[in-house]
Amino acid sequence: MIHLVDIVLSLVLLSILLSFGSNRLAVLIKVIGFQGVVVSSVPLFMGHDLSAFGIAFSLATLLIRGMIIPLCIYLAIKKVAIRQEVEPIYGHHASMLAWLGLIVASAFIGGKFNLPAINNHALLMPTAIALLTGGMFLLMGHRNAIAMVLGYIMMENGIYLVGTTFSTSTRHIVEFGILLDVLAGVMIMAVILQNIKQQFDDVDTSLLRTLKE
Amino acid sequence: MNETDMIVSVILWLLAILLAPFFAAVILKVKAFFGGKKGPPLLIHYYTLIKLFQKGSVYSTSTTFMFKLGPVVSLCTAAMALMFLPVAGYRPVLSFNGDVIFILYLLGLGRFFTIAAAMDTASPFEGMGAAREAYFSIICEATLFMILILFFKLTGDLSLAAYLSGSGTLGLWQTAGSPLLFVVIAFFIVLLSENSRVPVDDPATHLELTMIHEVMVLDHSGPDFGFIELGAFCKLFFYSAIVSRLIAPFNPGHPVLNGCLFIAVLLSVYAAVGVTESVMARYKMDKVPKFILISFVLAFFATIITLEFLR
Amino acid sequence: MHIFFLSIIIIVTGGVLAPFLNRHFILMKSVCVLSIAFGCLLGLYYAGLQLTLPVSDRASFDYLHHFTITFQIDALSAFFLVLIFGISLLAAIYSFHYMHQAEKPLATAVNYLFFSLLVASMALVVAAANIITFMFSWEIMSLSSFFLVIHNYQKEENRKAGYLYFVFSHVGAMFILTAFGIMYWYTGSFDFGETAALTNTAKIIVFVFAFIGFGSKAGVFPFHVWLPHAHPAAPSHISAVMSGIMIKTGIYGILRIYTLLNFHTPVFGEIVLIAGMVSGILGIVYALGQHDLKRLLAYSSVENIGIILIGIGIGMIGVSSGKPMMAAFGFTGGMLHMLNHAIFKSLLFMGAGMVHHRTGSLAIDALGGLLKKMKMTGGTFLIGSLAISGLPPFNGFVSEFLIYLGCFEGTGLDRMAFMSILLAIVSLAVIGGLALACFTKVFGVVFQGEARSSAAENVDEKGLTMLIPMLALAGICILIGVFPRAFVLMAIHGVSGIGTGFEPALLEPFIRLTGNITMASAIFFAIILVALAARVCLYSGKTITRSGTWGCGFTQPTVKMQYTGTSYAASILAFFSTAAPLREDHSGVEGCFPGRSGYRSKVHDVAELYMNAVIVHPVLALFAKLRWIQHGDIHLYIGYILLAIIVLLFFI
Repeated sequence: MIHLVDIVLSLVLLSILLSFGSNRLAVLIKVIGFQGVVVSSVPLFMGHDLSAFGIAFSLATLLIRGMIIPLCIYLAIKKVAIRQEVEPIYGHHASMLAWLGLIVASAFIGGKFNLPAINNHALLMPTAIALLTGGMFLLMGHRNAIAMVLGYIMMENGIYLVGTTFSTSTRHIVEFGILLDVLAGVMIMAVILQNIKQQFDDVDTSLLRTLKE
Repeated sequence: MNETDMIVSVILWLLAILLAPFFAAVILKVKAFFGGKKGPPLLIHYYTLIKLFQKGSVYSTSTTFMFKLGPVVSLCTAAMALMFLPVAGYRPVLSFNGDVIFILYLLGLGRFFTIAAAMDTASPFEGMGAAREAYFSIICEATLFMILILFFKLTGDLSLAAYLSGSGTLGLWQTAGSPLLFVVIAFFIVLLSENSRVPVDDPATHLELTMIHEVMVLDHSGPDFGFIELGAFCKLFFYSAIVSRLIAPFNPGHPVLNGCLFIAVLLSVYAAVGVTESVMARYKMDKVPKFILISFVLAFFATIITLEFLR
Repeated sequence: MHIFFLSIIIIVTGGVLAPFLNRHFILMKSVCVLSIAFGCLLGLYYAGLQLTLPVSDRASFDYLHHFTITFQIDALSAFFLVLIFGISLLAAIYSFHYMHQAEKPLATAVNYLFFSLLVASMALVVAAANIITFMFSWEIMSLSSFFLVIHNYQKEENRKAGYLYFVFSHVGAMFILTAFGIMYWYTGSFDFGETAALTNTAKIIVFVFAFIGFGSKAGVFPFHVWLPHAHPAAPSHISAVMSGIMIKTGIYGILRIYTLLNFHTPVFGEIVLIAGMVSGILGIVYALGQHDLKRLLAYSSVENIGIILIGIGIGMIGVSSGKPMMAAFGFTGGMLHMLNHAIFKSLLFMGAGMVHHRTGSLAIDALGGLLKKMKMTGGTFLIGSLAISGLPPFNGFVSEFLIYLGCFEGTGLDRMAFMSILLAIVSLAVIGGLALACFTKVFGVVFQGEARSSAAENVDEKGLTMLIPMLALAGICILIGVFPRAFVLMAIHGVSGIGTGFEPALLEPFIRLTGNITMASAIFFAIILVALAARVCLYSGKTITRSGTWGCGFTQPTVKMQYTGTSYAASILAFFSTAAPLREDHSGVEGCFPGRSGYRSKVHDVAELYMNAVIVHPVLALFAKLRWIQHGDIHLYIGYILLAIIVLLFFI
């Protein structure tokens, strides 16, 4: 039988596809925001942690992940970026194929883990791995600093998903810590971006190569 | 199977061919509604067909017998494909193991002759349309086979009747669940591109450079053109019926109820095509393959996800 | 067995007589064609008979006491013999009017001599039953086909093509010899059939070496480089034989080695399947990009070899994973596709030969509108194109259908195998779509529309003996497509020669399947007839006018405005640009009244592109370093000989 979790997880996988397929920054941010909402709602559907604290915690992460972080980045690009297009190093067809390969590979690797907590959610591990590697792919494939940040957030979503499998109370603390780190990171990024922008008139990271000397 | 069953199947087949133009007119109505117009009557396509059948033809001096054979073959392949289609979940006229592959290649035969008829005219525009038709259908075919793999894994059968007739479709949903939604979306994209609808192609445009299918039949006229139109309606009916069966796999039990449900869902599929055409613009030519590729990716995705579930 | 040898002798006699009769051109051609055709008929009769017999036929001769020459014909060999004799028969008939250069009688005579040797050696290759016999026949086959490729040696590109083919066939033979050498190392016997002594690792090594060697003959990517050069260089009936059957001897070799090793590991199946997918897709993509008709057909052979390998690979995976139906469908589909490809590819090459014969050109974009004047060539070429695109109700569909069924049977396997089978199904679908695009391009541009150059205007078709084989082949295409049963059973007989380790395949599913295809085709033809009748009714008494093509308002169209084959394929090639890099030269258009402008494009074959950098240059560099051995001093050479003799003495 199909669990609700699996449907949510398929949506997560779909959001990775969308993030690969889109080449406009605003769309990419929306996709990552959507992904944040879906990922942080996963524990609600898992059903093993429905205390008031758990729900409140999940809603808080949802708020940060789905609203605050995307909003921060959106405001940042409003301020600094001139161009809305992010040009990936790879082409559209290549990224589609890469996505397919990613899904297959993560399904393979996900099957290797044999954690008792996730045994009734066949999709959880593959999705988490797809998020991690997908984020890596975004990081690698883009020259634009903001797109790279988004890739980093995607990886963080993956880590969060792995975290949900450990259903102990300590995970909240660890999770929250990571999330705050990311939030701080995003803030710092906004500042640095402005500096890069002032210096180079663009946010293309390949320009940083000139700092080598 | 007994003889009455067979007779019913044949009647349903004939009905499908006869009613196909009617359903296609629904798209026009929906588009007219979105445009704030009254739109043509629902029987418009019958009037067009009758008018075409009464006319004579003009043939280009460049053409050969292929030009005359093209419309006949494309109509026949579409009509033959309908023979394998379980209309309203009723068992089809023909069905055997592997018939889906046969149908897909049969439609390929129709495509070959349509393209050959277009190349026959020596017109640069028609050649352009033919090249696009050949190109886009490659990706569509890959998508359809991907969907086929999923369906085969779910049912262990390779015939359209097993997927779409009786309780077969319900079984698909029970085993696969939500990923089937992606399959429906993928199939809808294939429907749009194979039947040259917006956003892949614009059947209403008058700029030959941007067209795919319409431009290939520029030189056809009279009954030949009527054959092509009828074939296109049959093909659209074929794809729409599959989508509608996938959306509403229920069998109310009573044949009349069954038929009503089928027609209602079929109308909604046609309406969905109409809505898509009203709210979307035609894509740039280089965006079309990307659009169709998404259907393949979705189908692949659904297959992998479902197999994860099945394990 | 006597009939077999008799037919070989008749075929070779015809060839040997040719040089002696070269003063009487027509007489020489008649004698050669008749004797080759008669020999082939006899061989065909024998092979057909042998195919249905359960026991294999064996004959053995002693040669120099040390080596025995052994022949054995089992069902697998008999199946290939049917192909070889059948196609050679038609090719021989075709050659009568095709070889029309009476001013070059000796060249024609030599061509017939090597043609007969090629046919005979191909038959001997599939009949050989030990290593010596096999390699001996294999070398004769390679050499005789080499001389056929350089038939028009006056052209430099033909000589180059011949040279390339020579290198490839001998490097391939070296790989095969290595494989046999390893076998001999373990067994100590030249006979086929004693491989139990080989360790499993040795078996895999033998298979890989043999696969590379035979693959280079069969035209498996990336060893296919010689094909698109050699096929256009050879005369058309030779291209038909080479592409239709000679490259199949490579497949025969793979199947024979597989049978001999009798080792059912998934590795073999995966290797063959992956090679098949890559050859299939890249072959047809490169075919789509060609500007020369025969080059295009040669690349399409690479594609079809790919399809055959997919079928065989599916069969091998079926065997190794214990799925008898999957194995039966895969092998039977592959075997039947071999038969089908032999039929439609030789038909297409003969059609291309006719086009070249009448127009003097093979450049696709220079032709056009041939269907109006060459009705029979165009019609048969159309049937060949439909069949090679795998469309029902023609023969290509039947074999692809069987391979599809084999693939679907295998979707129940575990992950790794499932992934490769999934890819196989998708690549078959993509190959089908690309083949359709490729052959609508060929047919649409060469035979339809208007003539693009003066060469293609005012042509006619002549040469009865050229038309008869084409009509016969087109007829067989439809026959197999509509009534596949007998031919599927024939392929099953052939498959029974492959050691699958299963009970003989159940015939029942095949019978039902072929019955369904026949029924569906019959219904399709009935619908077509009804529609045609309706068309006649609708047009009765109507006015039919003829005028120019609607140019969308443009009133001064010229033939140069037609869509060319290059532009037809351009968008699809752009999709595959990573695997098929396109080089374009465009001189550009300048000013309001531009002068002459030009455009050239060439699709690069990645295998050819990288062959130079990866293999040719390192090898040349290595040999340049060994240059000192060739000193030029005759005394030193005598020293070498002395040294060699002494070393040999130590060993013996």
